[in-house]
Amino acid sequence: MPDRVSIRIDGELLHARLGQTILEAATAQGRFIPSLCHLKGLTPVGACRLCLVEVAGIGRLLPACTTPVQDGMAVTTRSDRLDRYRRMILELLFAERNHVCAVCVSNNHCELQALARRLGVTHVRFPYSFPKAGTDLSHRQFVLDQNRCILCTRCVRVCAEVEGAHVWDVAGRGIGSRLVCELNRAWADSRSCTGCGKCVQSCPTGALAMKGFAAEEMVKRTETITRLVEAKGVRA
Amino acid sequence: MSRARIATVWLDGCSGCHMSLLDLDEALIGLAPKIELVFGPLVDAQEFPEGVDVTFVEGAVSSHDDLRLAQTVRARSRFVVALGDCAVTANVPSMRNQIPPKKLLERIYVDGVNVNHRVPADGVPALLKQASPLHEVIRVDLHVPGCPPPAAAIGYVISELLAGRRPDLAGKVKFG
Amino acid sequence: MKRIRDLASFNEAREAGLARLLPPVPRIAVGMGTCGVGNGAEAVFRAFADSIDHRGMSVELVRTGCFGFCAAEPLVNIWIPGRPLVILQKVRPDDAPAILDDVAAGRVPAELALCRIDEWDHITAHIKFGSGFPEIPLWNEVPFFRGQKKIVLRNCGLINPDDIEEFLAVGGYQALYKVLIDNNPAAVIEAVKAARLRGRGGAGFQTGAKWEYLRKAKAEPKYLICNADEGDPGAYMNRNEIEGDPHSLIEGMVIGAFVTGASEGIIYVRAEYPLAVHRLRTAIQQAEEWGLLGEDILGRGFSFRLSLVEGAGAFVCGEETALIRSLEGRAGRPTPRPPYPAESGLYGKPTNINNVETWFNIAPIVLKGPAWFLETGSAKSPGTKVFSLVGKVVNTGLVEMPLGTPLKQFVYDVGGGAPNGRTVKAVQTGGPSGGCIPQEMFDTPVDYESLAQLGSIMGSGGMVVMDEDNCMVDVARYFVEFTHSESCGKCIPCRVGLDKSLHYLSRITHGKGTEEDLETLDELSRMIRDASLCGLGQTAPNPVLTTMRHFRHEFEDHIRARRCRAGVCEDLAISPCENSCPLHMNIPRYLELLKEDRLEEAFLSVVLDNPLPASTGRVCQHPCDNRCRRAGLDEAVNMRDVHRYIADSIYPSPRFEELAARVAALRRPGTGKRCAVVGAGPTGLACAYYLALLGHDVMVYDSNPGAGGMLRYALPDYRLPKDVLDREIELIRRVGVRFTFNTRVQEHITLNDLDAQYDAVFLAIGTWKENWVYLPGTELKGVMPALLFLEAVAKREETPIGRRVVVIGGGNAAIDSARTALRMGCEVTIVYRRERKDMPAIHEEVEAAEAEGAKLVFLASPHRIVGDASGRVVALEAVRTRLGEYDSSGRRRPIPTDEILRFPCDTVILAVGETVDIDFAKASGLKIRANGLLEVDRYTLETSRPKFYAGGDLITGASNVSNAMGYGKKAARNIDRMLTGEERWQSLWPEFEYAMAVPAHPSPSRRHRVRDADPLVRVKDFREATFGLTAVEAMEEACRCLRCDVRNGD
Repeated sequence: MPDRVSIRIDGELLHARLGQTILEAATAQGRFIPSLCHLKGLTPVGACRLCLVEVAGIGRLLPACTTPVQDGMAVTTRSDRLDRYRRMILELLFAERNHVCAVCVSNNHCELQALARRLGVTHVRFPYSFPKAGTDLSHRQFVLDQNRCILCTRCVRVCAEVEGAHVWDVAGRGIGSRLVCELNRAWADSRSCTGCGKCVQSCPTGALAMKGFAAEEMVKRTETITRLVEAKGVRA
Repeated sequence: MSRARIATVWLDGCSGCHMSLLDLDEALIGLAPKIELVFGPLVDAQEFPEGVDVTFVEGAVSSHDDLRLAQTVRARSRFVVALGDCAVTANVPSMRNQIPPKKLLERIYVDGVNVNHRVPADGVPALLKQASPLHEVIRVDLHVPGCPPPAAAIGYVISELLAGRRPDLAGKVKFG
Repeated sequence: MKRIRDLASFNEAREAGLARLLPPVPRIAVGMGTCGVGNGAEAVFRAFADSIDHRGMSVELVRTGCFGFCAAEPLVNIWIPGRPLVILQKVRPDDAPAILDDVAAGRVPAELALCRIDEWDHITAHIKFGSGFPEIPLWNEVPFFRGQKKIVLRNCGLINPDDIEEFLAVGGYQALYKVLIDNNPAAVIEAVKAARLRGRGGAGFQTGAKWEYLRKAKAEPKYLICNADEGDPGAYMNRNEIEGDPHSLIEGMVIGAFVTGASEGIIYVRAEYPLAVHRLRTAIQQAEEWGLLGEDILGRGFSFRLSLVEGAGAFVCGEETALIRSLEGRAGRPTPRPPYPAESGLYGKPTNINNVETWFNIAPIVLKGPAWFLETGSAKSPGTKVFSLVGKVVNTGLVEMPLGTPLKQFVYDVGGGAPNGRTVKAVQTGGPSGGCIPQEMFDTPVDYESLAQLGSIMGSGGMVVMDEDNCMVDVARYFVEFTHSESCGKCIPCRVGLDKSLHYLSRITHGKGTEEDLETLDELSRMIRDASLCGLGQTAPNPVLTTMRHFRHEFEDHIRARRCRAGVCEDLAISPCENSCPLHMNIPRYLELLKEDRLEEAFLSVVLDNPLPASTGRVCQHPCDNRCRRAGLDEAVNMRDVHRYIADSIYPSPRFEELAARVAALRRPGTGKRCAVVGAGPTGLACAYYLALLGHDVMVYDSNPGAGGMLRYALPDYRLPKDVLDREIELIRRVGVRFTFNTRVQEHITLNDLDAQYDAVFLAIGTWKENWVYLPGTELKGVMPALLFLEAVAKREETPIGRRVVVIGGGNAAIDSARTALRMGCEVTIVYRRERKDMPAIHEEVEAAEAEGAKLVFLASPHRIVGDASGRVVALEAVRTRLGEYDSSGRRRPIPTDEILRFPCDTVILAVGETVDIDFAKASGLKIRANGLLEVDRYTLETSRPKFYAGGDLITGASNVSNAMGYGKKAARNIDRMLTGEERWQSLWPEFEYAMAVPAHPSPSRRHRVRDADPLVRVKDFREATFGLTAVEAMEEACRCLRCDVRNGD
């Protein structure tokens, strides 16, 4: 079968479909590779770098979410180096904005928090930036809390690719990058937002949330996004 | 066998971590003969003593007094544990970090009240510019995050330390 | 019509161009690249135009690009029919009339001439200019051009970039013509592959392979992109290439398009390059008009549209995927590869991107073939590369060198080394994505692999030379600040990682770093390198990683000693002069106190910083002069002679008693700790003085009958009168220091004795042992080591000196011996194997010796001492040397020739360097390093034996008084900390109140120098030979200080 390839993941021989990414092939077999920017159904962007894996014969680390499988590929998803790098990346995210988990709407339902626990991050060695990040409370139903945003761009993609509205994008660059509504407008003033809430459901942290929820109450339904895409065939 | 000299310190925090420690309930009775509690809100000592084996620090470092006490703790303790999110991440106390202390105090004590428009000065330690996690001001040997850390995690840490082992908290604790 | 459709019309256009390039009348071409224009070329051009008009002369005046030697701009080419092309340098507008006078007379102004070019290999053509002017060097005889090979820059600075016919005249578009006629695209790609041409943007990927991918790609249309988004600070290769020769780029791209099947081309050029943009637009328009671009090129039915897009200046857009997004009108953020652009690039179509310089190499490869191309450069990296050589070198400019050329050839041969006699410390290659290569590794060949091995990259060709004035921590911080602000923010390692890296680096430059920070920084940098999405993030940590690898000690200095040796990190110093002073004297303070007419406080300030201010005021090497910012205005403040003045005003005066008492009163209460200092030289005295002030009991042991060490027993009286030294030592006694003389360690008192009797011991023994070079004849009567000679004279002992003396060496001991011998009525010759500028001796001393009648012979390496039958010296023979390659000290190595020089003499004084007699330390628990010196902790000066500290010559080898005292001072601070467990150092200094204000206007007075006595008079005896500043002069000097110690907000 030409569309089936054999790959090794952490030594185990697996079959995958040609055209699948390493992440897809691994997840299909129930294997875990950490990631934050990836959400099944949206175009992968390779931005969070948590899913980096080692591929035999290739000197650099490759993002599992965008690298297609190739026949005979030998992938290592866990190593001392990968563990260290992943922890460091999570620590950098915690240090970048103000993630006060205790009072966050997404406490206990947050992908960042869960990954930190899973990967054994017990503290952040880097000095916290404590930036003045701001919130957008203008929308009737939703809130944007920049303090919790990790710039994964899931909201940007879900809005552009699935809803077709492209309300969100990232302005600025480097450490000054920030999520903006349209061309930096209050959410309530958006002319393209349909109020569908897909951005909120796809957000891995408490950055986008429904109004009226207190700490720990906001539970995201990211799988609905995936299901929607698969059902509607919006994206392959 | 001599008992381990344990201290607890309460910096800028809500005392919830101490409450969680007390939540060890009957396990405390088992611990009692093995440890000597030499300092903390639960005992009478006024001065942080010399020669402490393990000190658990709750709370962020927010004031000059916190900073001095943290430094004393480090100088006099063999092993320092940052207990709970405030000590580990600065947590809720850090939510004022974007505001200069003077502005903050005026907002609360002058603009925010109807009577007695005055920032308290006497007997109140001066605030640091920002609240910091403990490890940004002193070396910390172990971090136990959580708001508060579950009693079980605290119990595990104490029993491991008493057994002379370094507790491995990976996967056992979380922020928040 | 101009349109070229066949060979005849092609040749017609060539002829027209040739007639302009080599007209029947003189041609003057002004170099008007951005570099030339920046140096005033516009005005030069106008001056020529006006003068030519005014005279009605028949001269062709044109603009050309840059010939590469930026330091010599503006460059002007003069060609008189039948003569060589002559390039004039640093031409000013006022020179124009005189130059035209010369040209009218068939001459060129030789004094302005940089070089001449008889004939030129344009690679695609050969131009003969003519012959004559033998007095002007050929271009490749000029050091800057020697070793350069101009393939990429074949036309730059020679043709008029706005004239397509001139380009045709030098063989332009010939390669394109050939490719179209041959109509064999596969063969062209094969040729590019066979030539192993690698991408000149920095990554070094095989160009031919990339082209093949594009050719094989199925989708249409295909795009070609030229990356001219040159954004590295200090790099401007692409700019000058385009400005000087835009058609070479176009030709390369049209060839690339034809062989890969691309129909659209885009040049992505920085908007900050207006001149390049302008020249390119003109060139594109001309190429279209001539039928070389656009529809139906050269009438062969092939079409390729080329357009120009100006980038908005984001550094990350140099990364190909970000560049493509930017072209698409989206934010310039990179995307992961795969998919590669050859598969899915611009608008999702197959795309190929090459750097400007890569395109420049295409036509030569097509015309001359891959075998020719492989002749140049190294096996893995054939061809040449253009570098912008900037920073601390004499000759800055664009240099095109064969790949694989050793780095030292760039720095020293082409660049001419660091200006002002400084020492080159490192070269930074590859811009902010590159790394720093230390001077010890300058043998490294410059090619892709070798640089990568050192943690750097070739990059687009930036080469920034750094000298001792560059702080490597600050360099790393600077580059990270750059990449940090240019990061697109898409991936976390680069976005947040660089932010934290910058935080740590800033913290270290502010003196607040910890060793833990270094570890975190290292690990963080590795993560950013390995985990970032694109080239920007992957290479951004290179400056940090390489500086931490090769200059670790500088990081440690900032962290452990809170010092920045280069004096760049302002938070770590009071002022540049203080930072450079081995004793870290607060120089602005005593200058200001003197200026405020508070002499006594000025004296206190001086003597608390330096217990031998009168001696050092006479003999210090004054490194402060080299750092004084006033030098940028006129000349450095004469700081050394001001403190000599202050000291000389107090020591011999009646005020001495009172001030000595004031100093003694500053002594801290007794600690009861006992300290021994071994050696009463400057190092030991400094340490003893501070230990006593800190309240310890101090005993100094010395083998001599008096204190002062070298100051007393090696420095001749005419440099340092001993009554001056006596007063200084008296003050040191007043603070409580006691001495035991005529006592030699190991002989009279053992280290174990000292260990038993004292709480701390400081070892400060000087270099009294002469290095005995292997030289036949040193056993002869009349040969003596310099220090023994000087000591004998100082002790008024008999010396067996004759009448004709030869001194071998170039250090201070050599000069002191020579001047002493002169005073004893001898005839003196100094023989030194290198050049005058390489002499380690103080320059003024060398001049003084010469004025007193010493003969100096340079580049002569002693070979043997000749004796007579009675075993007495009769002559010294030396081999004439010439200067060879640069050695690891950045000086050129003397190489012996066949010529033998003979110096008849009866006395030979050897002053080739001194060393310490380390015997006493053996078998005493003190570790000795391989170089025969004592091992100590760099920061605390502790030896391997507890309680024992060491400093000065014992750990550094022969040095100078101030360095030696610096160690004594530092040791005292560390010993005190060890003894008391406290940091009490700052408590020694009382509060000095003085104005903290920058002078509103710099004082107009010029630097005052000390005066020397008449050489003919002073050489007759040992009286002091230089007179200090007068009160007025000292005051004026003090007023010249610009007060770098005053900071904003003070």
